[in-house]
Amino acid sequence: MSSRALKGHSLWYGGWLRLKRNKVAVFSGIYICILCLIALFAYQISPYAFDEQYMDRILESPNLVHWLGTDSLGRDMLSRLIHGARMSMAVGIITAIISLIVGASYGAVAGWIGGRVDAIMMRFVDLLYSVPTLVLLILVKVVFDSMPLFTNPELKALTGMLLALSVVGWVTLARMVRGQVLQVKQLTYVESARALGASGGRIVLRHIFPNILGPIIVVLTFQIPSNILYESFLSFLGLGLQPPFSSWGVLANEGWRSLRSYPHLIISPGLALFTAMLAFNLLGDGLRDAFDPQSR
Amino acid sequence: MMTGRLNLAFGPPLAIFWLGLVVATFFDVSIPSFVWWSAAAYTLAGAFWHTIRYGMLAYVGKRLVESLITVAVIASATFLLLRVLPGGPFDSEKALPPEIKAAIEKKYQLDQPLLVQYGNFMVGLVQGDLGESYKYLGRNISEILAESLPASVQLGVYALLLAYLIGIPFGVLAARYHNRWPDHLLMALAISGVSVPSFLVAPILILIFCFGLGWFEPALWDGPAYYILPTWVLGTRAAAVIARLVRASVLEVIKADYIRTGRAKGLSESTLLFKHVLRNSLIPVLTFSGPLIAGIITGSFVVEQIFAIPGIGKHMVLSVSNRDYPLILGTTLVFSVILVVCNLLVDLLYAYVDPRIKLNV
Amino acid sequence: MSNIRILVFALLTTFLSTGCTKKEGKADYGLPLSETLRINILQEPPSLDWSKSVDTTSSLIENNIMEGLVEYDLNDPELSLVPALATAWKPNSTASIWNITLRKGVKWTDGVDFTAQHVIDGWERLLNPATASQYAYFLFGVKNAQKYNEGKITDFSQVGIRADADGNLVVELEKPKGYFPYLLAHHATFPIRKDVVEKHKDRWTDPENIVTLGAYRLKIWDHDKAIVLERNEGYYGEKAKTKYVLAYMINEMSTAINLFDSGKLDFQSSLPSRELRQLRSRKEYREAGTLGIYYYGFNTRTPPFNDVRVRRAFAHAIDRKQITDMLAGGQIPLSGWVPVGMFGYEADRGLKFDPELANKLLEEAGFKDRSKFPKIKLGFNTNEDHQRVAENVQAQIRKNLGLDIELANEEWKVYLASLKSNPPSIYRLGWLADYPDPDNFMNLMSSASENNHTGWSSKTYDSYVDKAVSMTNKEERRKTYSEAQKFLTEMEVPAVPIYSMVSQILVSPRVEGLKENPLTRYIFKGVSLK
Repeated sequence: MSSRALKGHSLWYGGWLRLKRNKVAVFSGIYICILCLIALFAYQISPYAFDEQYMDRILESPNLVHWLGTDSLGRDMLSRLIHGARMSMAVGIITAIISLIVGASYGAVAGWIGGRVDAIMMRFVDLLYSVPTLVLLILVKVVFDSMPLFTNPELKALTGMLLALSVVGWVTLARMVRGQVLQVKQLTYVESARALGASGGRIVLRHIFPNILGPIIVVLTFQIPSNILYESFLSFLGLGLQPPFSSWGVLANEGWRSLRSYPHLIISPGLALFTAMLAFNLLGDGLRDAFDPQSR
Repeated sequence: MMTGRLNLAFGPPLAIFWLGLVVATFFDVSIPSFVWWSAAAYTLAGAFWHTIRYGMLAYVGKRLVESLITVAVIASATFLLLRVLPGGPFDSEKALPPEIKAAIEKKYQLDQPLLVQYGNFMVGLVQGDLGESYKYLGRNISEILAESLPASVQLGVYALLLAYLIGIPFGVLAARYHNRWPDHLLMALAISGVSVPSFLVAPILILIFCFGLGWFEPALWDGPAYYILPTWVLGTRAAAVIARLVRASVLEVIKADYIRTGRAKGLSESTLLFKHVLRNSLIPVLTFSGPLIAGIITGSFVVEQIFAIPGIGKHMVLSVSNRDYPLILGTTLVFSVILVVCNLLVDLLYAYVDPRIKLNV
Repeated sequence: MSNIRILVFALLTTFLSTGCTKKEGKADYGLPLSETLRINILQEPPSLDWSKSVDTTSSLIENNIMEGLVEYDLNDPELSLVPALATAWKPNSTASIWNITLRKGVKWTDGVDFTAQHVIDGWERLLNPATASQYAYFLFGVKNAQKYNEGKITDFSQVGIRADADGNLVVELEKPKGYFPYLLAHHATFPIRKDVVEKHKDRWTDPENIVTLGAYRLKIWDHDKAIVLERNEGYYGEKAKTKYVLAYMINEMSTAINLFDSGKLDFQSSLPSRELRQLRSRKEYREAGTLGIYYYGFNTRTPPFNDVRVRRAFAHAIDRKQITDMLAGGQIPLSGWVPVGMFGYEADRGLKFDPELANKLLEEAGFKDRSKFPKIKLGFNTNEDHQRVAENVQAQIRKNLGLDIELANEEWKVYLASLKSNPPSIYRLGWLADYPDPDNFMNLMSSASENNHTGWSSKTYDSYVDKAVSMTNKEERRKTYSEAQKFLTEMEVPAVPIYSMVSQILVSPRVEGLKENPLTRYIFKGVSLK
């Protein structure tokens, strides 16, 4: 047991050291932390209320009063961008967590039980891979948007989006976790724990999970930007968040059509979207190099 | 080794031929249909021969049956999901008098019990009849799909080719100069490529190349000047993913023992790279082609919409908002079949290329 | 290996040389640019079968390849009717029987003479339950038409249309309707060639089968890509000035504007509202008031809007001018129920913006303490423009009444379904006229209307509407509609009109004679190109 603890310790410690040396990844990490803070304190730091309309200041270019200009309803773009961070990050992170919980438990159960159960469970996953994502996203989004599940307006605006993206997202995680569990299952210490009569759930939680945490974190870091991207994609289809809430995807989608007439509507959300995606991808690369034992 | 020789005799010339056909379509050269048919027949015959030659008939048969079941399950699931969708096909801004609505629903058999509707649909499906659109009166679903599929397939194939064409060399190059500036530059490009939604790239490219330089057309689908931008937008995202994949895979292979041996034996770096490393490191690219095609299909809607390409992506989205049940089912089926077939092809190619793969028969 | 390389190189150069030759002076499909009007019709027409189609795209094409018994004079702001296939139409003294004289010598594109029977066939087909036409109710004013459509009678000769000995038509109505002639300009009532329909079944609208008699004929229908119309040389009237109309189907408006700006489109009939501020300053821009209203309805079944004082408070609390200023597309604030430009429009009708009075009314209704006000939802279908209006109304209500209302958008079909089953407290809808008569709008709020989702109904109001329909005296009719509107928008207020609609178009300077009009009915036969 103690050797495992030591191994785990050295794994994390070594990984941490490697990550710290990767300046790009560290910088991306810091940027993401800042974005998270902005998202959490959106209501406190935004200069104007995000849905306050200034009818005499419609579609202004960036100026001293409205640093990033105003939109077609005279709302402050900077405030909308800050609240957009809140929504986009929520979509990215919450969806990743839902997919993780569903996908990881599904994959772990399939991998651990193995045999016929595994075969059937994985056949279902394969099936989902053959369903066109777009159709699934649209149908699920339309169905869940029409169900009143939450009363909190922010959560209500998010529900359909979160569920639709999770339905698509968990599959990757299920496959990955199953593969990892299958691998780790054959390791000697797991086999010995099994021989000692430890229960399945206990072994998966105590022994296997810590071992595959590294790869999972890496996959999660890549899932977040892909969720944010899918969110903007759904906004493009006109299936974005419920107004007046808007994410970067919604803002960018409102903006791209105006590239030639009101470029300020697209530049700021476009840049926000781009830099955040970049940061997540770079951090993901760094984390993979540092923590994923296979790529070492 | 024997596998390799046989594949060389069959695979590459065929691949070049197909490539030639695709390039020809790009330049709007009209190709007589018998060329297409004979190319397809030759390919199928070759594949069949290989299947028998390597004793994979049972495996291929099993996979085909599985694929059929998959498609049937997806069709049924979509059928059910559609009936959960609130709102019907004949709800409109100007509500119809109930008698008229009833007459219309009777005409489309929407007044029948769900099970009967499902039965009719499945029977029709087996007979290859997808029914008639609710929105486009008098038009068969198969006809609509057949008319809109070519543009989409064209766009998808160009994008896929572009992705390989850019992605593989860039990936190899990055690995070759691992941790030096070309590597950093290419990887920065690749990461940027996956970080921008295509609906941001497309308008910017249109602004530059159509209104600034006047090289290409801003929309429609009628020749090389129209094809380039959409292909670029759709293909570069995939290229970025491939470049990253190839780089990682080449780096891994380089570390393998036989490469070290080769290097010790004094083989030149480029011989090593192209003869031994590349061959082996392209296998992950092949494996990844399934998800890649899925991604291109999903992404093609945005590109088709922005560039007004008369493809099938529009139907996929519009049919849902119109609640045109037969058309939703039709497009879903077409895409599932494409995905299933591509996955099957990838698996088979994989088995041909790498004889080490154990087939679970 | 080197052989292959040479081959590839040779192939590439040929492709490059053939592929890159520009087609000067040609539009797509090899049409001569100088004789082709290039327009965008936004989407594939769902059907060109004029007894069945229900959308504006289809009717745009149908109105150019076909003609009705009468046609609108689009240059006349009152939209008076001018002869088309009919040269005269006269009611009897009670306006319940109409004698319609048909034009002689009109030929279909296949050379067959146009006769009264073709009109009767068209009406029979429209009303036949087997056709399942959504516009069948259009002719329900005709004697026994509804019964025939519902299958209660099967003998069409009992329906009130017949040809007389001179080959002219006699139409008998259930009860007098002054606006009846307008229906004759609508594509649902166009004549049809039964023999062609029966011969080709669902395929009869294909270019090689279709038989029409308008100024243009259908030449190419390249599904989901474009439609090409060609001048009908056998047209009975003045021939079309431009030989071809090439209609693209591009539904992304920014893409269409890109094409317009690069000289590939001559006419774009729908513009993105957000860009209007900029587009309005362009010389190609034109706008015209449309016979349509945009309104918010109240769900009067449940509190708080079961109380008329609350409904009136909300009507007083919305500054419509602010909304139309924001939309910036030339929309006109509307407080009455009949749109600007239509018979019966009154600028002073309805409740005007008055926040003080609004608050007073709200307090009278027992909501001095605003926290006691029930939670209410404002529903609209997902769409950028509707969202902008809804968000603005939300902000106005907050500012002017101190109330928070929740916005709830739903996808279009979901929204339509919930309007029927469980409408939100406030809902958005619009209404476009099928024909330029106020009955179109007034009937909307009657008890029998399928489109009245308010739950409000009134015998008094119904009797106004019923009475006005059959009135032949114009002034009397105007007065009745005025009273009905007063009752509807000032006293009972089941719905609040917001603005009178406007259509915006871009027309290339090379196009002459394209007339914007309140019915957005674009007829191309008089269009010439420079």
